[in-house]
Amino acid sequence: MSETTEEHPDLESVPLDAPQFEVAARNVKRTEYITFASFILALIAFAAFGAAYTQNASTGIFGLTIGLGLFFFGFGLVSWGKYLMPQGPFSEPRPLMETTEKEKELLKADFTSRGKVAIKRRSFLVKAMAAAGGIFGIVAAFPLIRSLGPLPKNSLMTTKWRKGSYLTTIYGDKVKPSDMEVGGILTVFPEDDLGSAISQTILLRVKESGNIVTMAGREDWAPDGFIAFSKVCTHAGCPVGLYEHLEQLLVCPCHQSMFNVKDGAMPVFGPAPRPLPQLPIYIDSDGYFRARAGYDEPIGPGFWTRGGTA
Amino acid sequence: MVEAVKRSLGKRLKALLKPNKKIAAPLVLAAAVVIPQLLFSASAGAGVLSHSETNRSKHYQSQMSQRAAAAAVGAKTPQLQEGRTLFDENCSSCHGVDAAGSKLGPSLHGLGAGVVNLWVSSGWMPLANPGAEPARKPALFDTSQTDAISQYVASLSKGGIPILYPDLKGADVAEGFSIFALNCAPCHTITGAGDALSNGLYAPPLHGLTSTQVAEAVRSGPNNMPVFSTGVVSKSQLKDLVAYVTGYIEHPDSPGGLGLGGVGPVAEGFIGLFAGVGLCLLVAFWIGDRTEKEDKSHSDEEVGVEKAHV
Amino acid sequence: MDEGRNGMIDAIYNWIDNRLALSKSGRHLLNKIFPDHWSFMIGEIALYSFIVLLISGIFLTLYFVPSEAIVTYHGAYKPLDGMRVSEAYASTINLTFAVRGGLFMRQLHHWAANIFVGSIVVHMLRVFFTGAFRRPREANWMIGATLLILAIFNGFLGYSIPDDLVSGTGIRIAFSILESIPFVGTNLAFFLFGGNYPGTDIIPRFFILHVLILPLIILGLLAGHLGMLVKHKHAQFKGRGARNDNVVGSPLWPNYAAKAGGFFFLTTGVTAILAALVQINPIWQYGPYVPYKVSYAVQPDWYMGWLDGALRVMPAWEIHLPGHMVPNVFFPGILLPGVTFTLIYLWPFIEAKFITHDYSEHHLLDQPRDNPLRTSIGAAVFAFYFVLFGASATDVLANYLQVSLNVVLWVFRISCIVIPIIVFPVAYKICLELQKTPDAGKRKRHVIIVRDPEGAYHSVESAEYVGYVAPELNPVDIEEVDLQPEIDALNTPKETPQDGIYQVPR
Repeated sequence: MSETTEEHPDLESVPLDAPQFEVAARNVKRTEYITFASFILALIAFAAFGAAYTQNASTGIFGLTIGLGLFFFGFGLVSWGKYLMPQGPFSEPRPLMETTEKEKELLKADFTSRGKVAIKRRSFLVKAMAAAGGIFGIVAAFPLIRSLGPLPKNSLMTTKWRKGSYLTTIYGDKVKPSDMEVGGILTVFPEDDLGSAISQTILLRVKESGNIVTMAGREDWAPDGFIAFSKVCTHAGCPVGLYEHLEQLLVCPCHQSMFNVKDGAMPVFGPAPRPLPQLPIYIDSDGYFRARAGYDEPIGPGFWTRGGTA
Repeated sequence: MVEAVKRSLGKRLKALLKPNKKIAAPLVLAAAVVIPQLLFSASAGAGVLSHSETNRSKHYQSQMSQRAAAAAVGAKTPQLQEGRTLFDENCSSCHGVDAAGSKLGPSLHGLGAGVVNLWVSSGWMPLANPGAEPARKPALFDTSQTDAISQYVASLSKGGIPILYPDLKGADVAEGFSIFALNCAPCHTITGAGDALSNGLYAPPLHGLTSTQVAEAVRSGPNNMPVFSTGVVSKSQLKDLVAYVTGYIEHPDSPGGLGLGGVGPVAEGFIGLFAGVGLCLLVAFWIGDRTEKEDKSHSDEEVGVEKAHV
Repeated sequence: MDEGRNGMIDAIYNWIDNRLALSKSGRHLLNKIFPDHWSFMIGEIALYSFIVLLISGIFLTLYFVPSEAIVTYHGAYKPLDGMRVSEAYASTINLTFAVRGGLFMRQLHHWAANIFVGSIVVHMLRVFFTGAFRRPREANWMIGATLLILAIFNGFLGYSIPDDLVSGTGIRIAFSILESIPFVGTNLAFFLFGGNYPGTDIIPRFFILHVLILPLIILGLLAGHLGMLVKHKHAQFKGRGARNDNVVGSPLWPNYAAKAGGFFFLTTGVTAILAALVQINPIWQYGPYVPYKVSYAVQPDWYMGWLDGALRVMPAWEIHLPGHMVPNVFFPGILLPGVTFTLIYLWPFIEAKFITHDYSEHHLLDQPRDNPLRTSIGAAVFAFYFVLFGASATDVLANYLQVSLNVVLWVFRISCIVIPIIVFPVAYKICLELQKTPDAGKRKRHVIIVRDPEGAYHSVESAEYVGYVAPELNPVDIEEVDLQPEIDALNTPKETPQDGIYQVPR
């Protein structure tokens, strides 16, 4: 592939002893030694990686051997390229991204004139094709999108809590008041929905005895110092598992929304916009906690069809 | 009788030391081969733990024999007398004579030896000054004095929890891990690093704790920590939990290198950006910049005299 | 020398050349000039990290099982032994503890991801502040912005699929953000998750998006990004010989091939050393994701941090309409990134229309000081996102500094408004000041001690760059270079001087 001077008539104008063709290294010998040494170090490190691998060494050894090997290999390559090759600078011409009017005209003319020939007196073909293609575009989206999952329907509005549901631990045990002392917290589920991301509820023992009235109309929702709230944060849905029992605050670990337990889990700080829904509970004749009813509002974060009331 | 106690204690001592050895051995191995891994070695922590556990067990031994002696005599033991002296000197100014409480501090009746032991052994009590927030600091009293105070306060009233010495033999750390994730991680984080709660409150890091302290904290719920009674965390689950905390929160298994304090993506992002991208940028700076080479041809022509670079 | 071997190589080359005519265009490719400035190498960090991601990712897919089926884990890590976990989680734990080199590959992959997105952001800042997005590079700017979005998304997906406690909480937040979109949100969320949260499809779907669909799109866009780069050629800073219609620097072959090739290995080496020494995402310590469990101090990886921070500093507002609502997370979770990337996409056009009124073709880059308005807007906007990024660590900062969490949050709420307002005029003023000092940022002149004929010493500033000639050289047109005489000289050993292979006797 040798090039001859005939192809480059003005080759003589670039003298090969110009400083641009000198290597960049100040001390060529030393640079060559350093480059050589780094390749040798890389070789040693790669070999060490091989040995470490056969010995099933630790992650640290794996990483250090192969990492240092790659590093020295790269170091050698770069110092070769940077110091032992012509320092330049060189330049190349750059065609600008512009075309002449003539070129534009020609392309446009070709495109439109040929197009006109194709479409001439056949515009009904274009319309039919567009209609078929459009329908295809729409129906093709159905299996791609609609098959992915069910429609939400009512599922975001309700939980498995209903009248008479037992408050049940994750182990399936029904909860009774003696299970918890004042300042206690327990994650409970309806007995038919253990471990549910939606129905998860926290039961708190706020005081020794007496009903807790968080607001008018909830006089008998929290008997004997016990109170239950949805564990799903009304902000972004994280489990609100952090209970400060002296402050009577529930805190969401994700974005630090704070809810005042005594006030019906009203948000007092952070981004949560709505209180945690309160589960009305009672103690049945056998001494077990049960739900008076399900939640009276959708639990968790908001969504478009949730409705307009706070 | 005393011999039997001693024998069982000997076994317990071995059982206590065992997990530390297990953790220490790979750590020593790792430290020997990867120097940077020395940085995150938890061997220091392991040392502290085994030391205090040993002390505690030894002390437990003597305490048991004292108890036996007390039972035999049926009178105030030297331990209770020592406890009374220490209490009067250090605690009664706030908690009142006979721990009945005063304007400065609450009554300690009904708390039991376990609570007193937790607060004193963790350095929370005595406070730096009346009205200060309890903070972790080196305990003022040694183990024997702490136990003396605890037993003395417990002897003044009924109820509360005793000093707990969970027997970790046969504990299921997987169950402990599961309990930890449900009940402890929301405040202390899943790695036990601790975090900030509302308004200047903190969930402390779970490092440097004895099994006794962990168990007592779970059962008594100091400060804002919830109380986990047997209905929430059963006796065997408490054992599992303590085994997990003293085993794997104290000495996290970090085969991947520096653990970064267990605070997860915040620290990782910091390292990724500053060490990772930063180092790559430094490399880019070296590669991409033009070399500047001393020009021998017209080096000193302008000055023409001796020169020195300053 | 070895005729047989050379003949063989020639024959192979000729065979290929006769079918693809490589010799026609190949020489131009070898001649492609790369400007000599370190800031043009930032995008390469991203490219090389992406290659590391592909290679380590292929390794990981061989062991990872993208399934939410519940299995009982039995293995090396005691605290998980006997625990019922998802197959995805169990396979990641096995990959970590049982596969030789598995943990190293996981850490390499994760660190490479952090460096990948980080270098994209730094590259983008360089392009922005030097005005490299102007005509004709607007489309490439938009491709770059798309690549950033895809990189962030794919990082989030990869972070999520091990199904551990920390990332699982992130998926829950993602569901909440999706369902907050007016009109279509709940449907979108249900379609993506295959039902109400948590569903059973999300890990397999995230997996296929993470390992196939998004990487393919990224690869395609990357090809377009680089293709346009070759078409336009590199932009360059003003300097000796640099014009709008040329490129000054080093040629692809051999200088840049060695430099860039070496840079690939250096980037990979840095990532590997990081993976060796610093543990990342220890999911065995986090445990499996269980919907009713949660850990404090849960953060996403840093590149999602600004979104998490925005979720935290957002006041507790919602919009309630008759029968409908716009939830709180919509504003920081959907609206903010939507506005952000719309502005990024449109910036080249906004700037040309409202600030510079300049629609001409630019290949010579600005110094940031040259366009104070652009620079100060960019700095203020960047400061805003930087504050949001910091806000994602409110709890960790409050704990670390032992300051009230509530105070820290308020500091960030105020800062994300106040700090950009401060940054804007300060950046503007700095630009104006720099314009008055044209030598700012250049190397200082040497101070030289001279001794006059009387023997007294004086310290004087040297003339500009005395002793250093390289920046002063005029560029040589690469098309006019032919090294054949030099190769001939090399083959005549007697005449070759000892120092420097390119020095040829006159």
